[in-house]
Amino acid sequence: MLQILVNSAIYASEIAIIAVGVALAYSVVRFANFAHIQYAVIGGYLTYTVRGMGFDLPVATAVSAVLTGLMAIAVERLVFHPLRAMRPEAKMIASWGVALLLRSAVASVFGGAARVFDIDTDSYLLGDAVVTSLDLTVIGTTVAAMIVLQLLLHRTRLGTGLRALADNRDLAQTRGIPPDRLTALMWFVAGAFAALGGTLFALETRLQPDMDLQILLPVFAAVTIGGLSSLAGAVAGACVLSLVQNIAIGIDFGSLFTGTPWYLPSQFRDTIAVAAMVLVLCLKPRQRRSSLVR
Amino acid sequence: MLDFLIFAVTMISIWSVVALSLDLQFGLTGLVNFGQILPFALGAYGPAIAAAHGFSLEEGIVLGLVLAAAGGLVVLVPAGRLSQDYWALVSLGAAELFRLLMVNVAPIAGGQDGTAVPRVSDPVVAMVLAVALLAAMLLLARRIDRSPLGRLLRVLREDELLAATLGRNPFRAQAVITLVSWLMAALAGILYAHIVGYVAPSSFTVGETFIVWTALILGGAGSLVGAVVGTAFVQIISVSTRFVADWSGLPFDLVANLRLGVFGLILVLVFLFRREGLFPERKVTIHAADP
Repeated sequence: MLQILVNSAIYASEIAIIAVGVALAYSVVRFANFAHIQYAVIGGYLTYTVRGMGFDLPVATAVSAVLTGLMAIAVERLVFHPLRAMRPEAKMIASWGVALLLRSAVASVFGGAARVFDIDTDSYLLGDAVVTSLDLTVIGTTVAAMIVLQLLLHRTRLGTGLRALADNRDLAQTRGIPPDRLTALMWFVAGAFAALGGTLFALETRLQPDMDLQILLPVFAAVTIGGLSSLAGAVAGACVLSLVQNIAIGIDFGSLFTGTPWYLPSQFRDTIAVAAMVLVLCLKPRQRRSSLVR
Repeated sequence: MLDFLIFAVTMISIWSVVALSLDLQFGLTGLVNFGQILPFALGAYGPAIAAAHGFSLEEGIVLGLVLAAAGGLVVLVPAGRLSQDYWALVSLGAAELFRLLMVNVAPIAGGQDGTAVPRVSDPVVAMVLAVALLAAMLLLARRIDRSPLGRLLRVLREDELLAATLGRNPFRAQAVITLVSWLMAALAGILYAHIVGYVAPSSFTVGETFIVWTALILGGAGSLVGAVVGTAFVQIISVSTRFVADWSGLPFDLVANLRLGVFGLILVLVFLFRREGLFPERKVTIHAADP
C-alpha cells in the first residue's frame, strides 16, 4: 500500500509540473496548447545534450529550462501572437501544427533510438516501500518548483500583473499592465516547467521521440480533471490521476472476487487515465473559472 | 506508376470521405472534433471483429455502422454541456480510449497485431468502390449543406444565441449532423478495412486525425471541394514518402519524420497567411420569397 503511494507521488510529480504549464497558458491566453507536450520532450533532450557536453545534471537542467522557456516565447511570437484575435478552436488546431513541427524536428535530429540518463542512485526502505534517491529528487524538484511558482504569482509585481491579466485582460490593460511582456513571461515559465517535467520523466524512464504520446494523455487528463485554467486543479488532477492508476493496477482483484490472484495488467495505465478524464468530463458541471485570480 | 496512381486515387477517395465528415462537423457546425479517427476506426473494426469471430461480410458492415452510431451517441452526451475545448479533449480521449482497448484486449480483434479482413483483391475494383463512395458522400454532404438544416447549422456556428431566439433546438441539429458524419466516416472505415485487408490499432492514432485536420484546414473549412483537394494534397505527400526516400537517398525514417513536419508547417502557414484555406467557403445569400 505504501508502495502505491510512493509510486503515485513520483508519477504525479512528473505529470503535475507539465500540467501546470498547460493550465497557466490556458488561464492567460485561453486555449489548450498541444505543443506544450513537445516542449517537455525537447526539454528532456536538451538536458541530455547539455549534460553530454560534460556539465552536471542540475546545470544541464537549468540550461535546458531556460532554452525551452525562450523557445516557448519564440513560438508565441511567431505563431500564437499573430493568431491572438482568432477563436480558441483555431489556436488549438494551430498548436497541433506547431506540435507536429517540433515532433518532426526532435525525431529528425535525435533519431528513433532510446537514450538513458546513466545516474547513480541509492535506494532506501521506507516501511515496506522502496524509494530511490532519484525518486526523492523528482518529488523534491516538483515541490520546489511549485513553491517558486506560488511565490512568483503571489509575492511579486509581475505575478500580480499576470493574475490580473488572467482575470480580466481589458481591465488589466487600462490599469497599465503590459500584456505582451507578461504573456512572454508566462510562456517562459510554462516552457521552463515543461522542460523540467520532461527531464524528470526522462530520468525515471528514458528519452525517445515518441515519449510525447506517453505524456500527452496523462497531462491533458490531469488538466481537464482539475479544470483547464486552474493551477491547483492541475496539480490535484495529477495526484488523483496517478493514485487512481496505481491503485487500479495495484489491487489484487482476483483475490477479492474469486480467490485466485489477478491483477489488472499494467499496460492498462493509459487506458485508465483516459477513462478517468472522459468520465470526469461527462459528469462534471460546466468549466470552472480561472483560479490564478484567487 | 499506374499501380501507384490507382492506389493514390483509392486512398485519396477514402480519406476525402473522412475529411468531408469532419467538414460537416467543424466547417458547418463549428464542433471541434479531435477524435474523428474514432468513427473511422469503429467502422473498420466492424469487419475486423466479424472476421475474427466468423461472422459474414454483411454482418461486419452492419456491425461497423452500429458501432459508429453508438460511439457518436456516447460522445454526444457531454457535448451539450461542455465548452469547445473540453469537448475537443473528450473526443480525443474517446478515440484514444478505443484504440488502447483494442491494443490491450486481444480477444476482440487480435490486439496490437491486428486481424486480417477479406480483401478486395483487384485494385481497380477497390478504386471504383472508393470513388463511388466519395461521389455518393459528396452528393449527401452537398444536400445537407444546401438544406434548411445546413443553414441552421451555419447560424449555430456563428451565433448560438441567435439560433436559440429563432426557436431552434441547437443540440438536436448538432446531434443529427454528428450521427450523419460519424456514419459517413464509418463507411470509409469499413471500405478501408476491406481494401487494405488488415485492421490494427496502429492505423488509428491521434496523428491520423491530424492528417485529416491538416487536409481540411488546407482545403478550406466549410468547403466541400476544399476537403477533397486538401486531402488529395496531403495524401499524395503521404503515399509518396517511399519514392522521396528512394529518390533523395535519405533514410526512410527521416523522410517519414520530415513529412510530419511538412504537415505541421502547412497547418501553421495556412493559419498565418491564408486562414480561409485554398478554397474559401462561399458566402451564401438567401432571398426570402415574396409572400
